[in-house]
Order: sequence, then structure tokens, then C-alpha cells
Amino acid sequence: MSKHRRYRRALRWSLLLLALVLVLPLVPYAVAAGGTQFNTPGVELWDAVRARVQGPMRTQVEGVQSNQLINYWGDQWRLFRSQLLVPIGAVMLLAMLGIITVFYLVRGRIEIEGGRSGVLVPRFSVNQRVVHWLAATVFIVLGLTGLVLLYGRYVLVPLLGPEGFGVTASACKEMHNLFGPLFPVAILAIMFSFGRGNSFRGIDFQWFLKAGGLFGHAMADSGYYNGGQKTWFWLTVLFGIAMSVTGLILVFPNFGQGREAMAVAHVIHGVVAVGFITASLGHIYIGTLGMEGAAESMTNGYVDAAWAKEHHNLWYAEMERAGMVGVSPNTMEEVKRHDDRDFRGFGQPLGRREPLDPTVSPPNRGPTGGGISPAATPSAPKEST
Amino acid sequence: MARMKFFCDAERCIECNGCVTACKNANEVPWGINRRRVVTLNDGEPGERSLSVACMHCSDAPCQAVCPVDCFYQTEDGLVLHDKDICIGCGYCFYACPFGAPQFPSEGAFGSRGKMDKCTFCAGGPEETASAEEQRKYGANRLAEGKLPACAEMCATKALLAGDADEVADIYRERVAYRGAVGMATGWGVGYGKPGIRSNTIDLTGKAAGRD
Amino acid sequence: MSSIAAFVDGPFWYFSLTVFVVGVLWRLIGLLSMRGNKELSQPRDSATGGVIHSVLSRFIPVAGSQSRIRVRTVASYLFHIGLFLILIFGAPHVAFYESRMLGFGWTPMPQWLFFLVSAIAFLGLIVLWLHRIMYPVTRSVTTASDHIATGLVFWVMLTGCMALGESSEFLRVLHLFMAELLLLYFPFSSLMHAFYWHVARAHTGAHYGRRGVKV
Repeated sequence: MSKHRRYRRALRWSLLLLALVLVLPLVPYAVAAGGTQFNTPGVELWDAVRARVQGPMRTQVEGVQSNQLINYWGDQWRLFRSQLLVPIGAVMLLAMLGIITVFYLVRGRIEIEGGRSGVLVPRFSVNQRVVHWLAATVFIVLGLTGLVLLYGRYVLVPLLGPEGFGVTASACKEMHNLFGPLFPVAILAIMFSFGRGNSFRGIDFQWFLKAGGLFGHAMADSGYYNGGQKTWFWLTVLFGIAMSVTGLILVFPNFGQGREAMAVAHVIHGVVAVGFITASLGHIYIGTLGMEGAAESMTNGYVDAAWAKEHHNLWYAEMERAGMVGVSPNTMEEVKRHDDRDFRGFGQPLGRREPLDPTVSPPNRGPTGGGISPAATPSAPKEST
Repeated sequence: MARMKFFCDAERCIECNGCVTACKNANEVPWGINRRRVVTLNDGEPGERSLSVACMHCSDAPCQAVCPVDCFYQTEDGLVLHDKDICIGCGYCFYACPFGAPQFPSEGAFGSRGKMDKCTFCAGGPEETASAEEQRKYGANRLAEGKLPACAEMCATKALLAGDADEVADIYRERVAYRGAVGMATGWGVGYGKPGIRSNTIDLTGKAAGRD
Repeated sequence: MSSIAAFVDGPFWYFSLTVFVVGVLWRLIGLLSMRGNKELSQPRDSATGGVIHSVLSRFIPVAGSQSRIRVRTVASYLFHIGLFLILIFGAPHVAFYESRMLGFGWTPMPQWLFFLVSAIAFLGLIVLWLHRIMYPVTRSVTTASDHIATGLVFWVMLTGCMALGESSEFLRVLHLFMAELLLLYFPFSSLMHAFYWHVARAHTGAHYGRRGVKV
């Protein structure tokens, strides 16, 4: 037993010794950590710099925020651009193109049921069409050049080589900067020319419920503009204002707006641009390839009565009551209509908002009321198709 | 190859702006642009510090990552340079750079926005080395002549160090060790040692032992 | 490539400039030497007064049509003033005149004004061109030559805009080439209105002024 106890005591002592050997060297460290303050120079200052709570900074060198030591948001902006804007934007644009392609393959071109009637209804005046194509020109120039700047590094550099793409990108950047200031002008003109009749009404929600008759053949009721067109109008206005404001912040870099403002403006500019271009693809498709009889409203200003009846039945009824269906696109008459200062009802009879209900009878019109008096178009065929 | 680096020792920088001037002189940078600047923290207060800042020639350079025309490239020395023939002056590198190194020209020759300009570590650009074209677009190519950047060579207090990363690190490590040894016991106040002092020969009272 | 550029920048430039100058002079001389029927009636009023009145008053549209053509009036003023400001005071153009043609220069526009004026000129040109296509009257009097002239001006402006970055010789030469095409086309198209407008106004003004008609 005593031998056993001696063994246990020896074990206990050796364990204690081991513990001492292990722990004792740590004591100076513990003392140092608890007691001694190393007076490292400027430690608080650099801690503050690292914690981004710097005091006042100054530099003799003039420049855009040259007194700022570190640009904190630069890396956030870089991550946004390279990991969110570029890939998600590409996915959105390609997805939209894919959806349109599938839609075209499945649904085909939306044709006028029963064919064209040959009878014309005036829809957009000269000024409206000029404004539309001005905005379209500026939008296409800005959109294409902007896409080159966003995706050229991934798509065009392999094709053109760095020098070739450098030339392309330089040309695109200059066009983008120069056409940029025209965009707010075009958007303002759009607001004034197309604002009337673009406020949402109850029937627009019914139109949305029926998906605008895109699927199947049941057409939804619609006035001068349908729900989709109103959505596109308001998207254009809102996106256009956002693009214009952020674009103007970006275009003159030495205006004292600073780096953060430009980075934030760029984020908004990029996000809205991708959304705007994506939406515009749908607008361009349905206005040209996707629907028979739609594009002519923006080229010569008239639409076929059958198309009007099918897609804008309430507006058609209104035009019929105003005696504006079946005008001939004869030059003299057109000029008379465009030049008549009292006549501002090209496509939209004056003084009347779109009726909510097609059964509502039009109010009495004075002899000087808007619209073409029947006498002005005696030869116009009036039959409905 | 060496990995080139700048390092500014804030304990030595006295905000004389000699580096800024040397850079402008060596590179004849465009009007309104300073490739290097000195930033002073807590100016006029006790414990103010100054740092000379320019392009730090990052390994993973944000400017290179965001450039829409991919005009930045890294040399074998680890320098981040850009090709002004390809640059379109969009300014994305300026947004992304942590140090504000790439800059918009204030006014291009023909009044357009022009190309971005940035520190080249006095290593010129993609043009033929020491050509007039290189000098015009990018400034001096001192590296090709076996010299270090003008800013660092001009620095009166040797606060701004430039060169091979290992050597810069060695010099700074030596300084820190010396300061640390001094500072621990006596507080900061004798920052500048004398030639030949090595940290391992200093006792804790700050007195150098066994120096010649 | 560089040989084409050298040709466009050298011989072709002098050729098109010569065609432009000679063509414009030829057409002006031709116009001024045209002889109509001799005016036999007694002058009732001063022809000079009619000329001055007509040349100046036509800067503003006649009262009856002002509101009708307001868009066109504003757009054409924006375009023409903008175009000539760029042509005369644009910094690259001043540098070109100084180094290549005149040997002396003048103070160019600042950068921000250059951008603004170019944008305004583009706005005017696009609106006018669209209006020309959309408005039935102008559409019916427009010929292919007018579209070519407008298109050339548009492309000269667009390539000039592309070359603003001064990043490549290619873009500069492209702009120069388009300008040369415009110069070649100029004397043989309706672009001659740049030299005819006051002659035409003066002719009408003299005619009516002599007869004592207030127009």
C-alpha cells in the first residue's frame, strides 16, 4: 500500500511540475498585457483611421476630394458593378429577349382579326410623332452606347481586340455624353405630348386582369391608351427622370459633386437603365413585329378602323361619335387638320376624357367644338367594319 | 522579379510636399492633376500625422477590375499601369480606387473630358521605353534607367520609401523595432536614431550600447 | 490604313475644299448673272428699302403662321446657331483652322459650352428632320437630295461627336472624310441656301419694294 501511495504522490508532484513548466513562461505576457502600456506612437490615430472615424483632414493638393485619405465606398461600388449590375443586367436582358422569342413562336404575330377594313382613324399628330421619334432616337443612341460601355469588355474586346474596342468605346462614350443632355428634353416633351389620357382608370385594372388580351383572343376594353401603354408611359416618365438626373450628375465630373455622389448616381443610373432597356424591348416588339397595324400609328399617324375597334374599342366608339372615323389620309385634309389652331383633337376629341363606359352618350358639342366637322370630310366613308 | 511598393512612414513625413513637386516635375503631368498628394490628419493639433498618397499598385487592383475597356495591366514588377490609347476617361477607376489615384483631367487639350491620369511608379507606360511618346503621355520612365520614383528619391526625411517590397519592409521593420524599443521605456521622443544603431544592441533605457 | 488616312487628310481634303469653293462661286455668279425681264414700270418706292425690310423681316415668321410653325422655327434657330457656333468656336475646329488653313486662331468655346451647344444643334437637326418626314407639306416637297444633304450633315456631326475623345486617328479622319463628302455635295444641293438665303430675300424685297408693296 505504501508503495502505491508513494507512486501516487510522485505522480501528483510530477503533474504539478509539468503544469508549472507550462504556465510559468506565460506570466510575463499576462503581466505585460495587464500592466504595461506600450506607448506606440499615434496608435489612437490609426485606430480611428481604421474605424473610419477620422478627424479633420487637409491637403495642399487641389482636386476632387483630394483631402480624403481612403475612399471607403469604392470597393462597395466595385462589388455592385461587377457582381450585381453586370451579371443580373445580362440575365434580365437575355431573359426578356428569350421571353419575346418564345412568345413570338407560341403566339405568333397578333393580327387584326377579320383583316384590315381600309378605313382610317387618326391617332397621333405630327408633333406627337416627332416627339416620339426624337425620344426613340435619343433612347436608342444612349441605350446602345451604354450597353457597349457596360458589356463591351466581355463581348466586344474578344472580337475587336483591346485597341479596336478602345476606339469603339471612346466613340460610344462621347456619343453617350453628348446625347445624354437631350434625354431630359425628350422626356419633358413626351410628358407634354402624351400626358393627356394616360392617367389610370378602373378599366385599366380589368385590362391587366385579362393580360391585355395577349393570351387567347378575348380583347379587354380599352380607351385611347390601354393599361400596358399607360404603364409604359409612366415607366418612361419615372425612369427618364431618374436617368436624366443621375446622368447629369455623372456627365461633368469636375463640378464639385464628389466621388460618392457620382458612385451613387452611377448605381441608380445602371439599375434603371437595365430595367428601362428591358422594358423597351417589349415596347419595341409589340409596336413593330408583334402586332399588325400598330406601327402605322407612329409612322403616318393613322390606324386601321378594324385595329382600333379591336384594341381600343372605347376610343374607337368615341371617335365614331365625334365623326372622326373614316377620314382619308389626303394631304390637303391632313394639312388642314394639323394647321388648324383650334383643332387639337387629332386622335383625341377635344374637351372629352375617355369615357368609362361605351354606352355613355357623348355630351353636346358646340359648333366650334373640336374634332372635324362632318362637313369637312364629306367624302369620308362612315361605315363601321 | 521584384515586387515594387510604395510605403510612407507617417512618423517621418513632415508634409513638405516635396514628393508632389518632384512628381510633377519628373512627369510633367497635365494641368490640374497631381499624381501624388500629402494628406494631413488632425492638422494643427497635437499628434498630427501626414501621409503621402498615390497609386499603391494593388495586387488585386479595383481600377483594373472595373475598367470597362480593360486598359489597366500589371507589369512583372507588380505595377498597375494603364494604356491611354485605350482609356476613354469614364472615371470608373476613380470611383473604385481606395486612394483616389486615377484622376479626371480638368481640361483636355480640345476641351473634352480626356483620359484618366495616374501614378506610374515612374515606370512610363506601354509605349516604347524612353520614347518621346511615352514621355508625353505618361511621364518619366526612371525605372528603366535604374532609378526609383522621383517622389521617394526626393523625400527629405526618407519617409516615403519605394522599391522592392522586401527591402522596403526590411527598412521599415528596422525603424519600427528601434522605435518600439525606445518607446517602450521612455516614451516617444527620440525617433531619429544615429547611424549604425541596431535594435538588438539597444538596452531598455534607450541608450545604445556598443555602438562605434 | 495609314495611306488611306493620309489621302483623306491630304489630297482629298484639298480637292473637296477646291470643289466647294469653286462650286459655290460658280453657282453664285450664275445666280447673280441671271437676267429676268426688265422692269418697265415707274418705281413707286425704294427698292433698297424693300431689300432691307425683306432681308431682316424674314428672320421672324409672318404673323399668321407663327403659332403653327413654332416648333420648326425654334428648332431651326437652335440647329443653325448651334452648328455655326461649333463650326467657328469649337476648340478642335479653331485648332484645325490655325494649323491647316489660316495660321492664326482665336479663343474657342469652353468645354461645357461646346457640349451644350452640340447637344442643342443635334436636338434641332433631329426635330427638323423628323418634322420634315412627318408633316405632310414638307414631306411632299422633300426630295431624296434633301435627305442626303440632311443625312450628310447629321453624319458629319455624329462622327465629330465620336471623335471628341481625341482617342484615335481613325475617328478624326472619319469625321474629316464625312466633312469632305459634305463639301463635295454642298454646291450641288439645297445646302446652297447658306449662300442664297439673303439673295432670294433681297430679290423678292427689291421686287416688292419698287412696287411699293408692304410685305
